[in-house]
Amino acid sequence: MRRYETTYILRPTLGEEQFSEIIERTNKIIKEDGGAVINLERWGTKKLAYEIKKEAFGHYIYFDYAALGSSVHEMERIFRIDDRVLRYLTVKLSDAIDEATIASETERAVATAAARTAKADEAEGEEGEDGEESDDEITDED
Amino acid sequence: MPPRKRMFRPRVCRFCTEKDIVIDYKDVKSLRNLITERGKIIPRRIYGTCARHQRQVAEAIKRARHLALIPYSGQTQY
Repeated sequence: MRRYETTYILRPTLGEEQFSEIIERTNKIIKEDGGAVINLERWGTKKLAYEIKKEAFGHYIYFDYAALGSSVHEMERIFRIDDRVLRYLTVKLSDAIDEATIASETERAVATAAARTAKADEAEGEEGEDGEESDDEITDED
Repeated sequence: MPPRKRMFRPRVCRFCTEKDIVIDYKDVKSLRNLITERGKIIPRRIYGTCARHQRQVAEAIKRARHLALIPYSGQTQY
């Protein structure tokens, strides 16, 4: 099992339903062969630096996971077929990852996400009671 | 002929002295400082980046370009 991260860009005109459908399908491919999703971030719709397939905007989705090389290959094959996916990029973060690291990293990602939403909530109302400390989001592995 | 103008160049690599800077293709804000307005990668003779870190910088910029986070060419929009 190796650790990878993938960022992909979807057409912004699809709507929420199709975004979730594509995310679901992608995660399923990873999980089928015993992989695990550590962190999933939706960066939202951003302006592209240049047009891709006539689109000026793109919906960015980033996720960090542990998987087999073959599931990554399969996922990328499907990305290439699906023309709702404008771009994708997979980067290998580490050559080996064990169960314990997956668990601790997932926990850390959840804590970071919770801290982030808590901060956002605080700006609005008086929520954000979670006791987690906010870790930095920087990945230390090469 | 007038003497060649000497440009200031830091003697050591910025990424070697400040270990906590991580070169990341997702970090568009800091990558902006490493490219010109035209979107070109700034050569290491300007910043004095060491070979190892310049390679990492170049790789990060190329990845960011692929994801349309920064342009391949042309005026950058700030």
